[in-house]
Amino acid sequence: MHTEELLLFAADTARLMLESGGETYRAEECAISIITSQGGAEAECFATATGLMLSFVSDDGKTHTVVRRIKKRIMNLEKVSRIDRMVRDLKTDQIGFEEAESELDRIERLPERSGKTRIAAGAFGAAFFALLFRADVREAFAAFFIGAFVALVVRLSARLRMPDFIANLAGGALAAFCTLLLVQVGLLYRADVTIIGVIMLLVPGVAITNAIRDTIAGDFVAGLARGAEAFLAAAAISAGTGGAFALWQILQPFFGKGA
Amino acid sequence: MLAPLYAAIATSAFSILFGLGWIDASVASCGAALGWAVYEWFPALHAEAFSVFFAALAAGLFSEIASYFRRKPATVYMIASIIPLVPGGGMYYTMLSTLEGNTAKSVDTGIATLMTAFSIAIGLAVANVIGRIAFGNRYRPLRSQK
Repeated sequence: MHTEELLLFAADTARLMLESGGETYRAEECAISIITSQGGAEAECFATATGLMLSFVSDDGKTHTVVRRIKKRIMNLEKVSRIDRMVRDLKTDQIGFEEAESELDRIERLPERSGKTRIAAGAFGAAFFALLFRADVREAFAAFFIGAFVALVVRLSARLRMPDFIANLAGGALAAFCTLLLVQVGLLYRADVTIIGVIMLLVPGVAITNAIRDTIAGDFVAGLARGAEAFLAAAAISAGTGGAFALWQILQPFFGKGA
Repeated sequence: MLAPLYAAIATSAFSILFGLGWIDASVASCGAALGWAVYEWFPALHAEAFSVFFAALAAGLFSEIASYFRRKPATVYMIASIIPLVPGGGMYYTMLSTLEGNTAKSVDTGIATLMTAFSIAIGLAVANVIGRIAFGNRYRPLRSQK
């Protein structure tokens, strides 16, 4: 048994699972079942949304421990399902340890969606969310284009390695400002449905639900951390839109007629 | 009447952002359409939270079945198919009214948002338990195996 490699492999599997949006208990179970399937004893894993600790006792009686920090969290469900597959195969001895290591490496380097795909998905997502909130066709079209624009800005800020807070702030401000501009030039009658349709691209609805799912599963620390993340994101978005509304009211006199 | 279709298309856009392939994205979108249909057509039993609970339960059960046949963890389909239901808008309105200094409204929407998120989480947890009883945390066996 290569204890050091086993420890690092199990910790990296759990880390990737958490980074890709898997549940906390699933990440812990993955690490523990990798270690027990390779003959390690007393495997314990403690994971939160921002880091994990893993330790086990090898057959020479020594305790091995490692800590991993989790800095980025990008939802990627394909990675979650491939890690699940890999751990199951390792547990049932369908693949060996080396094969599992190279599979983890492949999963880690799975390409993200291209910029064009992200922008198109943002446009359609915003338009159909607006329709779901009873927008008419014109408002859905507005949401389509503003959604594409916001997706582009979020993509750019990710590329410049800005924190999520800034991306959400800018996205919220742009969504509100563009919509108010369209109302001003008379293309739209009301702003709220279009804004909320576009904002759905950014809002942390899945994050708050996952926070509560973690809490129900008994991972209170992870649940609190994810909940804090969700509240911060919502605060950033509403600060952005609130700022745009305020700026709009200052600019209003310069446009002549009131909207 | 078209609302479940809109929910499905919005969900497929998000599923693609979340890295799902087109088969999984379509499966998850069907789950989202089912969830939204239950949410819209279920008689609201005194409270919004009940409709959301049953919608999440339907989407969760669908995800468990999809997970068994597609041999992937159910959470993959669950996260995608609850996207139309999740209270993202509620989170936004809560923080917006807080910023505007409208404390009463922010507490109001905040509690409604938490209730919705709780209902979804409980619906999914119940679906998970039913899935575990039905499938025992296993997937459909591969045909090539004995």
